[in-house]
Amino acid sequence: MQLKNIDRGGAVLAIAVLAILPLVFDSRYLIGVLTVAAIYGIWSVSWDFMSGLTGRENFGHSLFIGVGAYTAGFLNTVWSMNAWWSLPASVVMAVVFALIMGIPTLRLKGPYFALAMLSGAVIMQRLMLIFWEYTGGEEGINGIEPLIRSPLHFYWFVLAVLVVTTVVLVALARSRWGLILKAIRGDEATCQSAGLNVTFYKIASLVISAGVAGMGGALYAHYQLQVSPQLFAVVTSITIITMVYVGGMASIYGAIGGALLLTLMTELLRNFGEWRLMVYSVALILILFYLPQGLVAPTWERLRRSLSGGRS
Amino acid sequence: MLEIVIFGAVTSAIYAMLAVGFTLIFGVARILNLAHGSFYALGAYGAYVLTSIAGLPLVVATPLVVLGVALFGMGVERVLIRPMRKSQLAVLMISLAVALVVEQALFLIFGSEYRNVPSFVDTKLNIGGVDVAGQRLLTLVVAVAAIGALYAFIQRTRLGSAILAISQDPEAAQYMGIPSDRIFGVVMALSAGLAALAGIMAGPFLSVQPSMHLLPIVKAFAIVVVGGLGSIPGSIVAALMLGYAETLVAYGISTSWTEIVSVAATLLMLVLRPAGFFGKRAAF
Repeated sequence: MQLKNIDRGGAVLAIAVLAILPLVFDSRYLIGVLTVAAIYGIWSVSWDFMSGLTGRENFGHSLFIGVGAYTAGFLNTVWSMNAWWSLPASVVMAVVFALIMGIPTLRLKGPYFALAMLSGAVIMQRLMLIFWEYTGGEEGINGIEPLIRSPLHFYWFVLAVLVVTTVVLVALARSRWGLILKAIRGDEATCQSAGLNVTFYKIASLVISAGVAGMGGALYAHYQLQVSPQLFAVVTSITIITMVYVGGMASIYGAIGGALLLTLMTELLRNFGEWRLMVYSVALILILFYLPQGLVAPTWERLRRSLSGGRS
Repeated sequence: MLEIVIFGAVTSAIYAMLAVGFTLIFGVARILNLAHGSFYALGAYGAYVLTSIAGLPLVVATPLVVLGVALFGMGVERVLIRPMRKSQLAVLMISLAVALVVEQALFLIFGSEYRNVPSFVDTKLNIGGVDVAGQRLLTLVVAVAAIGALYAFIQRTRLGSAILAISQDPEAAQYMGIPSDRIFGVVMALSAGLAALAGIMAGPFLSVQPSMHLLPIVKAFAIVVVGGLGSIPGSIVAALMLGYAETLVAYGISTSWTEIVSVAATLLMLVLRPAGFFGKRAAF
């Protein structure tokens, strides 16, 4: 029981710090960095929910992000619909893509899902360039309206979305559902022989993951006020995967720590501009070799254990 | 009509060179190598550096580049992939990370603009009323020769039998005293060299820029799914199917839609026949 209280306390403290930080240091720059970090947090958390729990790594999470962002862009500019429609619409579109990609590939064992997602994202990025008459090509779609005018209020909204999705996903991960997903990672065949519809659970978790990621994409579109094919890029997916690895796989909340840490590091590396992605790729290799458990979640585990007086 | 036959054959030849290496290293070592496209990109960039900057003739540069990339592939397998081989996902992650490191290195050194790789032959040939660049026909010939040589190597040499043995039954092969770790290095070198050769041959008529490694991975994956993971004859047949399907779409509908063919083929095949046309068989 005490552990749960420590968890809750830590979460409330973290949320409070994140929410109050822009009031203490009043700068638009800081608000921008935190907004981006929170959006990356949403993406990382959603990636971790599907891939971390089931062990089916998704190399094309950018597909759902891009689909969500472009949906928001289209609705808002081409059909000039109210910006708030973007959120439900992007969730629906991302879910449609999740079903298209998930149903053929998640029935199967082996690496098909990981590679098909990678292919899907690469091809979608190409299609955005090829059909430039509709998608704006390299420039993408510009002139998207902000969801909330005040940057600070928008940041708080994004933070709230992040907190709600994290709470829901952590609750799901700690429920029977999450147990089944973790069991699938452990031994799929045994789950099947226990009468579980393994394919259903995998596809359903992909659908949830994609829906959240798509909504994150829409938030990003309304933050940047434009979308570009770069959203579909493999580096977007890899950035997210690196964040989850830094945070610690399958912990879900750790992914937020990873997203914050890496986004802030990126800002510190601003001067190195072009080296940013190189740093990410090398960091990923180093983590895979030396810190396969990640950084944030294991640190928290250790901290809470010492706080609770050695009880594990 | 003849146009479709010729251009389809050239496209298929490049795809086959890429897919054969990709499927070979999977069939033998169970390594799904997402850095495979990087070998192709390094081939094209290597040829560019040695000819345009170092001023070597292409005929000299080609074997140097192929050898260099083969050694690089061997190094990647030895240092990065081998410690991770227990988990297939870790291999996927690490090889994708390697691919991005290579992409970023190329970007930092050469920038994102397109580079020109010189061609072996500049003449245009006229076959039955169709103008074909000599380079494309040469690519076709080189691809057939390279894959033929690989086939002969695997079928006729001692090392080839060892590769075949491991692909059929890794444990039994090890009991027979075949040093599988060393063989994996050799196979990785073969696979990387073949991809580099494809990059050098296709470089003159493709866009050579840092992110060029991604599409080959998409195509190689589609081919391997259609042909069956690990089957080389399967990947050759599937390369022909994909090459011609794309050419037909380009001529019949529009070049815009060609990129969809590979993903559609992948998903369709996974629904209809996930094992691929040639199923799980030994490497050859």
